[in-house]
Amino acid sequence: MTRRFAWLFLLAVAACTEEATAPGVCPDFCPGGQIVVHDTIFTDIIQRDSSFRGYVAGYQAIGAAAADLPGVKSRPFFLLKAMITRVQPLGTDTTTVPIAIDSARLRLSITRRDKKATNLRLRLFQLPLTVDSTSDFASLDPYFSGAVVDSVNVSDLLARPAIGDSVTVRIWGDSIRTDSAGHVLKISPGDSTLLLYFTLDTVQAPFSVPDSGKLAFGVEVAADSLASITIGTNETVGNGPVMRWFYRYSIPDTLPAPDSVAHGDLSRAPSFDSFVFNPPTAPPDSNLAVGGVPSARSLLRVAIPAFLHDSIDIVRATAILVPVAAVPGAPIDSFGILARPVLTDLGGKSPLSAITSDFAHVMIHTGFTDTVRIEITNMVRTWVADTTRPTAFFLGQVGEASSFTEIRFYSSRTAALRPALHVTYVKRFPFGVP
Amino acid sequence: MTLRPLVALALLITVGVSSRLAAQDSQFGIRGLGTPGKPESVRARTTGGAFAPFDAFSPLVDVSISDVRRTSAGVTSGASWRSIDASGSTATLRGTRFPALVIAGPVNRRVVIGGGFSTYLDRSFGVITHDTIDLRGVPQPITDEITSDGAVSDLRLAAAARLHSRLALGLGFHLITGSSRVIATRRFADTANYRTSSTRDEVAYNGLGGSASLMVDVRHDLRFVGWFRSDSKLRADVNGRTVAENDLPMSYGTGVLWRAGAQAGIAGSLAWQKWAGAGPNAHDTFNWSAGAELGPAGALLRFGVRGGQLAFGVGKTPTEVGYSAGLGRQFSGGRGRLDLGLERLERKGTGLTERVWTFLLGLTVRP
Repeated sequence: MTRRFAWLFLLAVAACTEEATAPGVCPDFCPGGQIVVHDTIFTDIIQRDSSFRGYVAGYQAIGAAAADLPGVKSRPFFLLKAMITRVQPLGTDTTTVPIAIDSARLRLSITRRDKKATNLRLRLFQLPLTVDSTSDFASLDPYFSGAVVDSVNVSDLLARPAIGDSVTVRIWGDSIRTDSAGHVLKISPGDSTLLLYFTLDTVQAPFSVPDSGKLAFGVEVAADSLASITIGTNETVGNGPVMRWFYRYSIPDTLPAPDSVAHGDLSRAPSFDSFVFNPPTAPPDSNLAVGGVPSARSLLRVAIPAFLHDSIDIVRATAILVPVAAVPGAPIDSFGILARPVLTDLGGKSPLSAITSDFAHVMIHTGFTDTVRIEITNMVRTWVADTTRPTAFFLGQVGEASSFTEIRFYSSRTAALRPALHVTYVKRFPFGVP
Repeated sequence: MTLRPLVALALLITVGVSSRLAAQDSQFGIRGLGTPGKPESVRARTTGGAFAPFDAFSPLVDVSISDVRRTSAGVTSGASWRSIDASGSTATLRGTRFPALVIAGPVNRRVVIGGGFSTYLDRSFGVITHDTIDLRGVPQPITDEITSDGAVSDLRLAAAARLHSRLALGLGFHLITGSSRVIATRRFADTANYRTSSTRDEVAYNGLGGSASLMVDVRHDLRFVGWFRSDSKLRADVNGRTVAENDLPMSYGTGVLWRAGAQAGIAGSLAWQKWAGAGPNAHDTFNWSAGAELGPAGALLRFGVRGGQLAFGVGKTPTEVGYSAGLGRQFSGGRGRLDLGLERLERKGTGLTERVWTFLLGLTVRP
């Protein structure tokens, strides 16, 4: 019987379920303390802020901007790698024979465009093989005044019906749109990137043996309005320009038999690609620059007040930044800014945190001068929880150096419009007091 | 009723129904130090508390353990269902508690020592409020939840001595200690911009107390008890820092028990507690009780009634009225006793009425 009673009490222990929470009738039947929210704009705790430029150069960017907008022109260009000039027709014989180019097919990827743009056109220009990272808009501009290698109306191609017969799909892997000039447009099913193919003959793509087949091209965009796109570059996987050379060669032992001619093709990616634009990025000043080419980032250091570290729970923290001027460009040129805390404050070379939950993001829209507010709540909560962390963060453009767009904010040097931190916090509840 | 169905009934009620039953807490205690516990065994509770001064397993007075002839232990548990009506806002709460444990045994023929714990102040409650506040110029709906889970316990070391065949003296030392886990949470309807704020801490309580009691058998069937107790301040510490100090009450009371033959006992008691110095919303209290125990020692029927005041409450002193009844059954040749009881309480104060049903289960073992 004693054992049974032991079980009885064990079961009674197991039955200890609680429901102790009731709607509060305050203040008579609520605890003495209250959860109190404070909301404060700290206008002077963002200090020692500065900008640094040179993180990502135009030729390192994941895209190249092409634009023809009021006040801004931007032109991508690329230099193709060397092509073979001879082939070894017989595997058992080391004798080589020259190749003769029949034609070439150039593929460009339009990774960003404004769908409202009408009569969107692309024009190809041949550039000298000397193009490199020192090339600027002025030095390349004369070549864009020369003969057009080829041009295509992208809007027209997009308006055409898709060809999706089995033969086409077998060759192209998907349905295509084409025009009478042989341009082919394929829409990437994954990300809606436009893959644009130019068929070039030997006049448009002259094959120079002394130059090992190297060619340089520049791209110019035009439209009725909103002419602003991004061309994929070598830095993106699968979206960079590609030139596919189609060639023929003779097999000596079979001469002069008609079947002695063999055909082949080989693709070449650029050895260098970048873009130039006008006007160029303005030199650094006392403001905080984010974006541009080479990319600029701004470092903001936050002097967290001691009382925010102690007995405070941050529920919202917003960085307030006042733009110096509107960002020029088409609406599609709007870009994101990413705020990332630093791991160690080493100035411009501070390593950045990889904890994505502490990141903050905001979109910058072209043409507006509204105050920019970046919600950095998680970041500030992390700082408050761990006082060993440096209380500084970088602002950087998303897709750095792939566009001419840049925004500048007033820095702490401009007292009236300096960056501020808007913090909403809850003070510690007075536990233990009746 | 045989013992087996009795056990089955206990199981059914304790396990099956306890998910809808409530704690001994009270909303009246939220604005005070807590809800004072009842240092009573199931036997005492089912007689309205009237038998508590005479019951060795009720940790109310120390002298009562002088009747213990063999080392014995008694435990009390209670599962409660509580409905509250606060100015039209109603809620139903439940909980389970082990409010008392007493172990006692004789040192020699005259002296008995004992100890155990009982609930001194219950600090378990939860409050949810909804409101809309203006944040950054925008009305922001919020929900606040403040919960406290814990209690202040009274750890007692007691000794009782028979000074004379009709006179016994009891002394007790009380270590008042406990803690409560407290959480204050504010949730915002706009979860995209505002993070939930949750602050949690553990409040540690401590204090000391001393008690003395005297029991006089005026006749073989008439017994009087008087007791006195004084407690120090209750100190509340958070993270090692004292955040509050509140006076604890001086209390005293008296009781009388009349044995009307071998199978009937009638008791009554009066108690006063000086809580008024314990802070705002605290009141001195006076409580009374009367009860009876009928039947042979192996199978007892008990009932009782109690009334009085509550120590904490806004405005005028809240009042409490209770009715209780129960059964006691010995087993294993008197080496064990199972007590069952049911108690109904009604508490009334300014703006709040509480009604409580409590199922009580107690076990006393004498190995």
